[in-house]
Amino acid sequence: MTHRPPFPLLAAAALTLVSGLAQADTGKLLLTGGVSTIAGSAGGGLTPWAVIGSNATEGEMGVSAYATRAATQDYGLTGYGVALGLYDRVELSLARQDFDASPAIALNGIAPFGVTPGQHIKMDVVGVKLRVAGDAVLNSDSWMPQIAVGLEHKRVHPGSIGSVLDFLGTKTSGTDVYVSATKLLLAQSVLVNGTLRYTNANQNGLLGFGSASPGKNSRSLQPEFSVAYLINKHLAVGAEVRFKPNNLQALGAAAGLGAALREDDWKDIFVAWAPSKNVSLTLAYVDLGRIVPGITNNRRQTGYYLSAQVAF
Amino acid sequence: MTHHRTLIALAIATTIAVGGLLALPVFAQGTAAMATAPAGLYQALGEKPGITRLMDDFVNRVVKDPRIGGHFKDVKPAALKESLTDQICQLSGGPCKYEGADMKSAHADMDINKGHFNALVEVLQSAMDAQGIPFAQQNRLLALLAPMHRDVITTR
Repeated sequence: MTHRPPFPLLAAAALTLVSGLAQADTGKLLLTGGVSTIAGSAGGGLTPWAVIGSNATEGEMGVSAYATRAATQDYGLTGYGVALGLYDRVELSLARQDFDASPAIALNGIAPFGVTPGQHIKMDVVGVKLRVAGDAVLNSDSWMPQIAVGLEHKRVHPGSIGSVLDFLGTKTSGTDVYVSATKLLLAQSVLVNGTLRYTNANQNGLLGFGSASPGKNSRSLQPEFSVAYLINKHLAVGAEVRFKPNNLQALGAAAGLGAALREDDWKDIFVAWAPSKNVSLTLAYVDLGRIVPGITNNRRQTGYYLSAQVAF
Repeated sequence: MTHHRTLIALAIATTIAVGGLLALPVFAQGTAAMATAPAGLYQALGEKPGITRLMDDFVNRVVKDPRIGGHFKDVKPAALKESLTDQICQLSGGPCKYEGADMKSAHADMDINKGHFNALVEVLQSAMDAQGIPFAQQNRLLALLAPMHRDVITTR
C-alpha cells in the first residue's frame, strides 16, 4: 500500500532533460509522433501506434509529457506521464493513472469488502517500444507500414478495493505485449494503425489482471484500430476501437451476479490539434461500454477525454 | 464472439506478416509508381507559372532557413529554382522534362540527415501554404517527393 514508485524523481529527471533538449533542434514532422495514450506510449488516445514519441527523429533524442482527464457517467480518470524518444528507434514511457472508483462503495452491499467512500484506484505503467521496421510517413510509394513491438508493465494500487480484487482472484500487476503497424497514406492524408495486444488486463489493468476460475485468467490477443484524417498540418480527426478481454464476467455469473462484471470494448472519436510543434491538445468522445455494470445500473460509460501534451 | 475476435486478431497478424513480405516488391516498384502523376495535381499547383512561383519562394526560404540553409551555400539559387521547377512540373504530370542529376548523385557529398529532410519538407509546406495550395493537394505532391528520402538522406 505504501509502495511509492520513483515516479516524481523520474519525471524530474525527464524535465531536466527537456530543458537541455529544448535547445536542440528535433526534427519530426508535425503530429507524426502521435499523441500520448492513456498508458503513456505514443499513439492515439486509447491505443499505441508504431510511431516513436517526442519530436526526435533519427540521430536525435526527445521527450514528451502529458496530462489527461476523462470522465463518464460514473467514473473519472486523471493521468499524466512522460515519454523519451531515442533516435526514432526506442521509446521509454512512464504513466500514472488515478481512477475515481467511487461507485465501488456499492460492493459492500454484496459482501463486507470494506470499500471506503470515494476510493480511487491508482496505476503505474512503464512502457518500452521498439521500432523494428519501416517508416510510417516517408515511404509513401509502398504499402509497408512502420512496425513496432512494445510492452506495458502495469502495477495497480487499489487501496480499499484490494479486498475485491483478492476476491476476484486478479493480480495487481501484469504486462501487456503488443505489435503495432502504422501507415500514413500521405496522398490521401489518412493515417491507419492496427495494434495486436496480448493481455489479461481487466479494464486496462485498473481492475487487475486475470481472474479466478471460471473467469479467464490467461492472456488473449486483442486487436485495436485507429484511423485519422489530416485536415491540415495542425488538425487531425479520427476514431479508435480497442477490443478488450472479458475475463471477469464468467466469475460473476458463477457467483450469481449475472453480467455484473461484464467488460466491453472501447471506442472513441477524437480531434487532435497541434498549434505548434511543441504543443498538442486532444479532445475525444469516448464510449467505454460497461464498467462493472452491477454497481452502475448497467449503464454504458460515455463521456469526454481531454489530453494536453508538450513535446520536444 | 471470442471466435470472432480471434479471427480478427489472426487477420491482423497475417496482414502484418504478409505486408512485410510484400513490401520488398512494392519497394522495387517505387520509381515506376512515381512516374504516374495523380490526376489534376499539375493543375492544382497552378501549372508551370504556379510551380515557378512556388519554387522561387521555396528556394528563397530554404537558403535562409537556419537548419538547412548551410547546405545550399554553394548552390546558385536561380539554377536550383529552374531545375526544381522542371522536376516538380514533370512529377506532377506537367509537360516538362527534368534533365538534372539523379537524386542520389545530387546529394552524395552533402551531410543530410532525416532532421534536415523533414526541415526541407516543412519549408516546402510553408511555401505551398503561401501559394494557397490546398492541404490535400500538398500531400499528393509530398507523397511523390517523400520516397526520395532514400537517396537524399546520406547520414543515417
